[in-house]
Amino acid sequence: MSEKILEAPDTVQNPVEQATTELKQRFPESLSDETRPGYEGLIVSPDKLREVATTLRDELGFNYLSSVTGVDLIDDNKMEVVYHIYSIEKGGGPIVLKAQVDRDNPVVPSLVPVWPGADFQEREAWDLLGIRFDGHPDLRRILTWDGFHGHPLRKDWKEPFYEEDHKPFGSRWPGGGVRRAEELNPYGKNVQYPPGWVPTGDEYEVETDLYTGLTIKKDETIDLKTEQVTVNIGPQHPSTHGVFRMVVTLDGETIVALKPVMGYLHRNHEKIGERNTFIQNIPYTDRLDYICSMSNNLGYVLAVEKLLGSEVPERAEWLRILNVELTRICNHLWALGFLLNDLGALQTPMLYFYIERELILDFFEALSGSRMMCNYMRFGGVAYDLPDDVRGQPTLQFLDELVNERLPRALEQGNELMTGNEIVQARSIGVGYLSPEDAIAYSTAGPVLRASGIPYDVRRAEPYSYYEHLDFDVAVRYNGDIYDRYLIRLDEMYQSLRIIRQVLPYLKETEGAPIISGKPQYALRVPKGGEAYARVENPKGELGFYVTAKPKGSNPERYHVRAPSFINLTALEKMTVGHKVADLVAILGSIDIVLGEVDR
Amino acid sequence: MVEQIVFILVSLFTLITAVVVVTNRNLFHAALALMASFLGVAGLYVLLDAGFLAAAQLLVYIGAISILIIFAIMLTRRLMHALESPFNSQWGLGAFTAVVAFAVMAGVIAQFWPVTPDSVTPLASRPEVSASILRGSVAELGRALVSSDAYVIPFEIASVLLLAALIGAIVVAWPKAEDE
Amino acid sequence: MTPGQLALRSLIVGFIITFAVITGFAYTTLLERKLLARLQGRIGPNRAGYIPVPTRSGKPRRFLGGIMQPAADAVKLFFKEDITPAKVDRWVYTLAPMLAVIPAILILAVIPWAGEITILGQTFSPYFAIAPGVNVGIVFVLAITSIGVYGVVLAGWASNSKYAVLGGIRASAQMISYELALGLTVLVPIMLADSMDLGEIVAAQKGVIDWFVFRQPLAAIIFWIGALAELQRAPFDLLEAEQELSAGYTVEYAGMRFGMFFMAEYMKMIALSAITATLFFGGYRGPFVDQVPALGFLYIGLKTFIGLCIMIWIRATLPRFRYDQLMAFGWKRMLPISVLNFVVVGIFIVLQEEGILQPLFENTLRFLGIG
Repeated sequence: MSEKILEAPDTVQNPVEQATTELKQRFPESLSDETRPGYEGLIVSPDKLREVATTLRDELGFNYLSSVTGVDLIDDNKMEVVYHIYSIEKGGGPIVLKAQVDRDNPVVPSLVPVWPGADFQEREAWDLLGIRFDGHPDLRRILTWDGFHGHPLRKDWKEPFYEEDHKPFGSRWPGGGVRRAEELNPYGKNVQYPPGWVPTGDEYEVETDLYTGLTIKKDETIDLKTEQVTVNIGPQHPSTHGVFRMVVTLDGETIVALKPVMGYLHRNHEKIGERNTFIQNIPYTDRLDYICSMSNNLGYVLAVEKLLGSEVPERAEWLRILNVELTRICNHLWALGFLLNDLGALQTPMLYFYIERELILDFFEALSGSRMMCNYMRFGGVAYDLPDDVRGQPTLQFLDELVNERLPRALEQGNELMTGNEIVQARSIGVGYLSPEDAIAYSTAGPVLRASGIPYDVRRAEPYSYYEHLDFDVAVRYNGDIYDRYLIRLDEMYQSLRIIRQVLPYLKETEGAPIISGKPQYALRVPKGGEAYARVENPKGELGFYVTAKPKGSNPERYHVRAPSFINLTALEKMTVGHKVADLVAILGSIDIVLGEVDR
Repeated sequence: MVEQIVFILVSLFTLITAVVVVTNRNLFHAALALMASFLGVAGLYVLLDAGFLAAAQLLVYIGAISILIIFAIMLTRRLMHALESPFNSQWGLGAFTAVVAFAVMAGVIAQFWPVTPDSVTPLASRPEVSASILRGSVAELGRALVSSDAYVIPFEIASVLLLAALIGAIVVAWPKAEDE
Repeated sequence: MTPGQLALRSLIVGFIITFAVITGFAYTTLLERKLLARLQGRIGPNRAGYIPVPTRSGKPRRFLGGIMQPAADAVKLFFKEDITPAKVDRWVYTLAPMLAVIPAILILAVIPWAGEITILGQTFSPYFAIAPGVNVGIVFVLAITSIGVYGVVLAGWASNSKYAVLGGIRASAQMISYELALGLTVLVPIMLADSMDLGEIVAAQKGVIDWFVFRQPLAAIIFWIGALAELQRAPFDLLEAEQELSAGYTVEYAGMRFGMFFMAEYMKMIALSAITATLFFGGYRGPFVDQVPALGFLYIGLKTFIGLCIMIWIRATLPRFRYDQLMAFGWKRMLPISVLNFVVVGIFIVLQEEGILQPLFENTLRFLGIG
């Protein structure tokens, strides 16, 4: 009797195993288990990939494609595409699909027909790894420019100032000298151009591919002849939140087609990450979404901790949650301020929100030494304990006042001043609608997904840290327009305050307890090989880190960032077509992107 | 004397810009010249002490009609360097109309030439308009438009015509059923 | 006084007033930056110049920091490179900033700044203005504001840039739309004062109770909204909507040519503030103005200042309309309301003049059993 009761919840709790078994029954020939130690998931033969994906989406409930990325398995002369697919309804872990193809001619069927959200991610894999996606509607380079030669994330691609395969470079360590490769190779002799490219000429039609998708569609049924205009909004534009460009075809002021162009800030974060040692990557993650460095740290640290299998002491977990939630408030204050600014409310709400954001930054400064680039988390803990005082007040008292008085008051004020404003409502209600189905299909995450009525929050769906012990609601709104994306950020800030209020007593209780596991030592442990995918609910959405490690070596073999800002942009065209140019800026503001993370 | 010089300058301005309107190959510049020509006409009204008419000229012809023309050019033509011939297929008809209009006006003016019998040059000593007429001119104009023994019938006919044109414009611009 | 002397005097007065308003423009920019900063919890420009106030501690207190900011701005604008982009229509490109500034100065001609006053032995009668006694003063104002759109449209077209053209098209459509409501609303003070002369409109508002804003608050509100739209101030500042069009029609302009657009905007702000004060708030009239006519300058200055502050306050408070919402608001709300208001006021005035209103009112009261 007892066996039956125990068995039933077991199958429900393990939707991944259940679905895996089901899949294996259906596609016995084309699926095989991952055999490498420390790796997980199923290896799919590429020709059946689309069918497997369709089955997963339609019949097994795994309807949310979180991450698509490629891995260069140069030793096996293979390219691997890794898919992480989650279930919105059931929550829990991912089903990991892997398709392996020949390295010299890597062609994988595109999953865009199944999940349109794969669009940008597949383009990124093509751009950086040279994997062709058969059936992709618009397979162009996305992060590097059209005159770029080669695919930089391939292991045999070398940058113009190539020095060594991984850090620390011999030129700088252990002597600490400042001799740099740039000095030895002042003209960058190994700079390469694509065939046919003349660096000094302008005969290379760089952007023809970009504009072909936007050609003017003549409407023959209307006797009044109108002409459509193609306008470039950005990259130098005050309200694209950075160097982001949108090529927009306009009919009058109505948008008929839109293509985002990005990569102006591209620095190949992932290549840098693969050159770095594991610990060196933490400060680099700060620079992804430079507003939320704390939660970026957490995502990366969780992924490496999975590889290391390390424990985190209790106090460190509470400190992590405190900082991550403060970061969320910080980010949302910023996002709302800019959204309202995009609606034309000349900076006033933004600056009002800044007063409280400033206090949070002061706290971060006292805690980690930096206001924005915190570099705070470590594998197995955090770097520093709470400071004695912040702005002349004892820390806990400062936090108490911040969380219980200042922030609620600021939110109340903002809510009072702006939420009911007629112009704000007229500009945002019903604008930029994204249906719940589209929100899932386009792999949107975070506030964008939840404002469309999908109550999916990684903190609940696949809890990490101590979130399962905390009492909070997943904020959700159902209209999927700009106004709801505005409101949901307010809701989330209230929830974050609720979480922090629960955390504060524990911080008081655990005072003096260790904040990092293990003994302090100079030689850091490095992972013993394997792969790990960790995701956190970043303020902008689901931030995932996919890290693989070789059995030996101090640097990751593959380091991939599933950037929420980047993937949320996939839905931009869906949201904007049919609206006015003025709405475009507001819609972009409501997605809340940071270009450091989009371009990586 | 001063008034005469001003008159000659304003007339020259009006005429030259009018010539530019019909000869310039750049449609946008032609529209600008038309606006300048209207401005000259407003200047002539001011010289004739018809302040209200001058203001109305500014408001209607420059503020609305010229801007409408410029608007139409901006929306329908390519942005720059859209040069086109000032002649179209109807230039003969246009020339004929211009000649006839000129003949009619010349005939009318010739009847009253010279304007004042005791002076050799026209407009040299224009009779002063009394201050009371100037002050009440707008009110007089208004009364003339609505009183039954003056221009009420033409006024009403014009308004009916404009209303018809307005409705016509709406009917033309209304989206047809099959387009939706 | 001969016409020649009159013209000379107008020239001198015009020079002085224009000079005053240009100075005012410079300090309006400072006022806007300072006030906006205070409304947003910032400090605003406070580095360029100050007035030292001695204190007991010996170290002078810096009062009114930033007082020289407009001068610094002007110097900066003058010394910036005056770029003419390659493919612009050079003539029109140069003409556009002038066409923006000239109407802004011309509006000042008919505004009465004080009542009948004697300065340096010269008696200004019936009131102090550059061109006093223009019997169609208010129509002149409307006509000149309608010309103001040319600067914007030509700048947009001549820049040969899509952003600028969109800005120009928005501007022309917006100004034409709101001019209608503005013009129809202006008729209300004309009817109440029975004159188009701005001086007589002021004279008709003897005491504070007689201010037309109290007799026709609706007309005053519509006029103010229309004036904001005409000026392209927030929340109607679409054509320079920074978030959408970068800077709209001025996007290709640099240096002092850009400065001239800026100048036109702020001078028109001052002028329309003064006209609003004239039409609805008693113009230069105020307590004791009949005894001391010089107080008129103070009163209209104060009223204009308050108007400017309200404009800046609105800018700090309200988000921007979207283009189609702006048009819908202009045509579907403002225009019908102003037409209705105008017709109702007209009917009441005629009824009163014909002597029908009073008996009608009394009879209605009697019918209702109140009177």
